[in-house]
Amino acid sequence: MKMTSLLVVCATFVLASCASEPSCEGPQSRNLSTAVDQAKSSLANGCTAYFDSYYDTLLRTAEGDPKPENKRVFSEFLVWAADEGLLSQRQAKEYYNRYFNVKFMTLVSDYNNCSHTCPRRDRVLLDMERELSDKERGLLKVSLDNDGYYRADELFKEVELVLEATCTACAAGR
Amino acid sequence: MEPCTRLRAVRGALFMFAMTAFGFASADTTTPTIRLFPTTVVEDLRQTSSVAQEMETGLQEVIGRLDQQQQLYLESKCDGAEDDPGCQRLAKQIGATYLDMLGIMEERLPDMEHTVNNTRLSLEKRLRSELGNKMTSWTLQETLLGGNPPKTASDSSPSLRGRSGMRLSERFKQYYKLVASSSSNSDQSLAVLASDIYLDMEETSTLIARTREEIARATLIEQLNQSFGTITPEMMEVVGGVKSILFGDETSNVVIAGPPPGSVEQAYRSPLEQ
Repeated sequence: MKMTSLLVVCATFVLASCASEPSCEGPQSRNLSTAVDQAKSSLANGCTAYFDSYYDTLLRTAEGDPKPENKRVFSEFLVWAADEGLLSQRQAKEYYNRYFNVKFMTLVSDYNNCSHTCPRRDRVLLDMERELSDKERGLLKVSLDNDGYYRADELFKEVELVLEATCTACAAGR
Repeated sequence: MEPCTRLRAVRGALFMFAMTAFGFASADTTTPTIRLFPTTVVEDLRQTSSVAQEMETGLQEVIGRLDQQQQLYLESKCDGAEDDPGCQRLAKQIGATYLDMLGIMEERLPDMEHTVNNTRLSLEKRLRSELGNKMTSWTLQETLLGGNPPKTASDSSPSLRGRSGMRLSERFKQYYKLVASSSSNSDQSLAVLASDIYLDMEETSTLIARTREEIARATLIEQLNQSFGTITPEMMEVVGGVKSILFGDETSNVVIAGPPPGSVEQAYRSPLEQ
């Protein structure tokens, strides 16, 4: 008798916990605005761990209907996420600028080039290359900002050239 | 003082005055945030161009003569008929011209090496201090972007990097012109230009040092060959190399592909943008 009661209590507990767990399916719509609303709803219901995956899904959705206004939609979504405390201001800026700005977030640094950037130049350039492919997605495929992407690509080449010269000069001065 | 020397001195003083005045003028209109091209670097570039031109002029005649002699050698079907006395005489003449070329190079290269190294070292110092020690990677990026509106594929300037298929003197002349008109250039393009010139100087400097090492060896070998009257493949290779360095290689023009064309209606600025 005692055993049966215990089983019933356990089953009730398991069922109750299943019912309270949020559905983290994420955005399903092919319409960006609707998809953003769905992502917001899931995130507000406790699915914060899926933020990266939702952001990726939103980018994919936007790629299906690319237009310059999409930049604003992503910006507003990230501002909302920061206001809700899901992201810090810094993280929100990182998410936005990595995809929608010409400037490379990889290059954020507080120390001078000779002492900090040059010793890890290969790593920096590799990270920039990865960021450039995110910019291709954000600027070119999502926002149709061809000029922005072209400038980012050109900036990457310029940084590569200038760092090569600067780091050679730094090394010669040691 | 001789009239010629005096004229040169006056011209030099005028040049220095013009460059100094130019420096003050540009400082008045736009406050430079980075100083990559002081007058010393500009003067070094001008001098490198004129030294390169002197060397080219000296070598042009001898290389032309070598080409003619080689043509005659081939037309006379001397290839494979080395024992023929006429062919032996032709081979000796080619060898002697080759020695002349090596002699001119041996005489002019130290000057060339000196001016190239001067420019390289002054640029090196500037790059280290202005871009290496005074900037972070973020400020460097902002300098390169320069707050200018994004350029389109059509109005971007071609890259200067490396031996771009032009005469050595022409290359330095072009560098000099670009640097001397730097009041119209932003810090953004100056940083790229300084890096480009510095890396080119590095490469040229290494090439000159290697060529100088080779000249003594090549001269000795050719002096030995003179007694046998043969044309070595190495000889033709050296001549080819010198021609390519001095007078450019037409096939080495590299064009960077642009992105697909398109335009943006209006630029949206996010509050998150940095």
